Amino acid sequence: MSWETVIGLETHVQLRTRSKMFCGCSTAFGAPPNTNVCPVCLGLPGALPTVNGFAIQLAVRAALALRCEVHLRSVFARKNYFYPDLPKGYQISQYEEPLATDGQLAYASPGRGAVSATIVRLHVEEDAGKSLHDRVPKSTAIDLNRSGVPLAEIVTGPDFRSPQEARAYLLALKEVLEYADISDCDMEKGSLRVDANVSVRQMGATALGTKTEVKNINSFAYVEKALTLERDRQIATLEAGGRIAQQTMLFDAKANAVRPQRSKEESKDYRYFPEPDLPPLVVPELWLAEERAALPELPAARRERFATHYGIPAQDAAVLVQSRTIADYFEATVAAGAEAKPAANWVMGEVLADAKDRAGTLRVTPERLARLIELVKDGTVSNPAAKQVFGAMAVNGHGDPRAVAERLGLIQVADAGALTGWVEEVIAGHPTEVARYRKGETKLLPFFVGQVMKVSKGKADPTRVPTLVKERLGG
Amino acid sequence: MTSIAETASRLAGAASLNALLTPIAEVEASLTRQAERAPAGPLAGMPVAVKDNICTLEYTTSCGSRILEGFRSPFEATAITRLKSAGALIAGKTNCDEFAMGSSTEHSAFGRTLHPLDASRVPGGSSGGSAALVAAGAVPAALGSETGGSVRQPASFCGVVGIKPTYGRVSRYGLVAFGSSLDQIGVCGRTVSDAARVLAAISGRDPMDSTCEDRDPFQLPAPPENLQGFVIGIPKEYFPPDLDPGVRRACERVIKVLKDLGAAVRDVSLPHTPYAIPTYYIIAPAEASSNLARYDGVRYGPRFNGVPDVRALYQSTRGKGFGPEVRRRILVGTYVLSAGYYDAYYRRAQRMRALIAQDFRNVFDRGVDLLFTPSTPTPAFKAGEKMDDPVAMYLADIFTVTANLAGIPGITVPIGRVDGLPVGGQLLAPQFLEDEMLEAAFTLERAVPGTDEV
Amino acid sequence: MSVSRQEVERIARLAELYVDDAALPALTDQMSRILDYVSQIAAVPGTETVQPFLPGPVALRFRDDEVRPVTLALSPAQIAPAFKDGFFLVPRLEAFDAGAAGGDDVE
Repeated sequence: MSWETVIGLETHVQLRTRSKMFCGCSTAFGAPPNTNVCPVCLGLPGALPTVNGFAIQLAVRAALALRCEVHLRSVFARKNYFYPDLPKGYQISQYEEPLATDGQLAYASPGRGAVSATIVRLHVEEDAGKSLHDRVPKSTAIDLNRSGVPLAEIVTGPDFRSPQEARAYLLALKEVLEYADISDCDMEKGSLRVDANVSVRQMGATALGTKTEVKNINSFAYVEKALTLERDRQIATLEAGGRIAQQTMLFDAKANAVRPQRSKEESKDYRYFPEPDLPPLVVPELWLAEERAALPELPAARRERFATHYGIPAQDAAVLVQSRTIADYFEATVAAGAEAKPAANWVMGEVLADAKDRAGTLRVTPERLARLIELVKDGTVSNPAAKQVFGAMAVNGHGDPRAVAERLGLIQVADAGALTGWVEEVIAGHPTEVARYRKGETKLLPFFVGQVMKVSKGKADPTRVPTLVKERLGG
Repeated sequence: MTSIAETASRLAGAASLNALLTPIAEVEASLTRQAERAPAGPLAGMPVAVKDNICTLEYTTSCGSRILEGFRSPFEATAITRLKSAGALIAGKTNCDEFAMGSSTEHSAFGRTLHPLDASRVPGGSSGGSAALVAAGAVPAALGSETGGSVRQPASFCGVVGIKPTYGRVSRYGLVAFGSSLDQIGVCGRTVSDAARVLAAISGRDPMDSTCEDRDPFQLPAPPENLQGFVIGIPKEYFPPDLDPGVRRACERVIKVLKDLGAAVRDVSLPHTPYAIPTYYIIAPAEASSNLARYDGVRYGPRFNGVPDVRALYQSTRGKGFGPEVRRRILVGTYVLSAGYYDAYYRRAQRMRALIAQDFRNVFDRGVDLLFTPSTPTPAFKAGEKMDDPVAMYLADIFTVTANLAGIPGITVPIGRVDGLPVGGQLLAPQFLEDEMLEAAFTLERAVPGTDEV
Repeated sequence: MSVSRQEVERIARLAELYVDDAALPALTDQMSRILDYVSQIAAVPGTETVQPFLPGPVALRFRDDEVRPVTLALSPAQIAPAFKDGFFLVPRLEAFDAGAAGGDDVE
């Protein structure tokens, strides 16, 4: 029996605002418990919500980045349920009239190549607090710092056909949201959370199987693990003649298993109704235009353009585009006069390596890098020497490439006299090899070149040396 | 301007009414402290009592409920801040039906409040404590709250002035929510002037309340000489054949006075009026069921110990903490929002509400400035009379509830007595036209003897 | 349109309200009467199509994204029924109890 897996994802993304969705408390991570709180996010009697405009702007931007239809008028709704970290006994969310619908995100599926996921809806809502079990014995400890932090909920259709695909989509989603500066999408910090709906059906069937919800997936790696476990569990159940119960499964990383959540007998009835404390959310036309204009060129389009416009191979483009800062840097270097291919190599090599050591700071300006690349191109310094120059510029954070090269004594010598002198020196110093070369071992040429580089302390222009050696040796 | 000692003495005089929840000694001590800091202002030195469902820093806020017994709010309502800025002194918390759910103040966890003129009767509700205290002369004004008439109805029963502002006129920040789309803070006062001055002081935009309109604080109008130029509508649905004869007589006397004062009086119709109560009793409980979900024993209020798990914590807190009327309304509210019933009940009721609001607009758009109606179908009823049948109690709101549903302002003024019991006459105005409403109210107050037997 | 005992029990569970067996019949009766009474609006023409009405501003006003801490006259520790080490306390939830929809925090 051949099975097809069907997966849909529901992602919650924290919007990177300074203050919470419905009150002016700080959203800063890591504060002592219950210190970023006020009557509103504590759910005190008499408190009322007020809406953070920037959170809405970020959500609109996310909707545009995901090519959704943004509804200029949407409505907040209450989702009613009881839980100790939900202070009001309801979450302010959106239900029948969400901010955005009908979007899509293109990504590279490991199995099917270039595909698009459908974004069924994107809406805004507030986060709940945190429940910590066993921090205090026999109790659950509640911290409401996170209560009220703005979230965008992004829901896909049942589009993914494998756990790997689901993960690939998530990485593409994270890339887009980071690019558009909407969220830092850090699963470990909890600023990106994902729940999955999983079902299986026989290959070729059109109807969907019974789905389960999989929760508690806390990292990108766990996404694949958890979904694979659940898929396998469902297949095993069906093949043994059983039926899939519609329930919530929790991923237990330590046990590497999925288990059913102990839930109430009834299915959840959230009794959604429009939030009477908040008038309708009307997005000003101006914001829509501003956010559209502010949207950066998104990763997929940028990779495409790098490949066609700069003639860079696809996998190099992918490396360069991964970070918006790096991609911007690369383009600035080219704009400052460097050729695309060497610029790409330098950025992927020295620049990224240096940035990694320095927590992401780029210490050499694109203009200086461009000048350095020019020096290599015109033979003033050799490639290895240039790397030394780069290193020196990075440490100091400044310095004109030529001046630094001179100071380090790395200016390549192309002067025929000097070069000839070194060539003579090497030839004189290696009679055995010279004899062998003249007898026909022309593969010794690199050896002589190397010796010239050594005796010149790297200053000889490696592009001229082989010719000179050949001439001198009469080969 | 009364002295603090005088206020304390008057409060003591009204103690048997069980209208004031705060011990008088505590009120007196607080008034003294407040007076030291109070700025001069339009309400300078005025002692104002506050309904127990409005958050104050000076006193506990328990909403007439065990579930908030002894609760000290860490913040105060915007309306309270504004009262204090105007120089008023907050003179304690008044009794009310639990979470403002009721029309008689018999549903308070702290005992019923007595009618100031007849101890066997109710003062009305849910702001019965505020109305009774003002009627007893203990304070010139008191804040109450309205969801379905809970300021106007008790004010009418007790023979004082009661004002409900337009929805969005006064900030709800710090008013403990019952029916969010209906709630407004209102004012009971000895006179139209006292009540209106307090209303003016607390009104105006508030960034802490998203449903508060972006308007300047309301300005008090000058009382006019007469009502020349006013067109006053008399809606027939508010004068049913079985209207209490005493109430009818009092209203007919007022209508004659309105004409004598130069107003044009016109018969009008608000055809969806009969559906106002059922509409209200879907919307208010629904919103309440959600607003009261926060009372779970986790972050504030009493904790009943020895509960084995969270479920038991919720159920014991809420089971023991809420009284029967509140529990009934939460259950009805939960039902009408639940899957399968939401469209037929809650959504339907919000549509019905549009028809009720439309009735008013139709009349006001056709040249009618104000409406005049009885405030309540009868004078104050006897305690215990309506406790057996919840629906019977609901019908006490029949003339007041429409204004809350439509979001329009209303005022009740005393227009006479029937067998010694006060009767109130109500003026209703279009949204944000409190000034016209008050002009007419000032004039009525001057021209109609409010304590005459009719 | 009466409501049954089972429905009342279900609703009570949804609302986390404990109703003891002795009180259930009277409560069911009262709820039935209330719901019958309010159901009459279903018969009114126009209530299927007219737009629902909510008073108040036509559109939301937005708040600037500034951190504005609120000074509480009483801290969470002072108003909480049970508080330790900075946290509100409740009886320990079973690790896999039905939880929040915004992403569980199961540790």
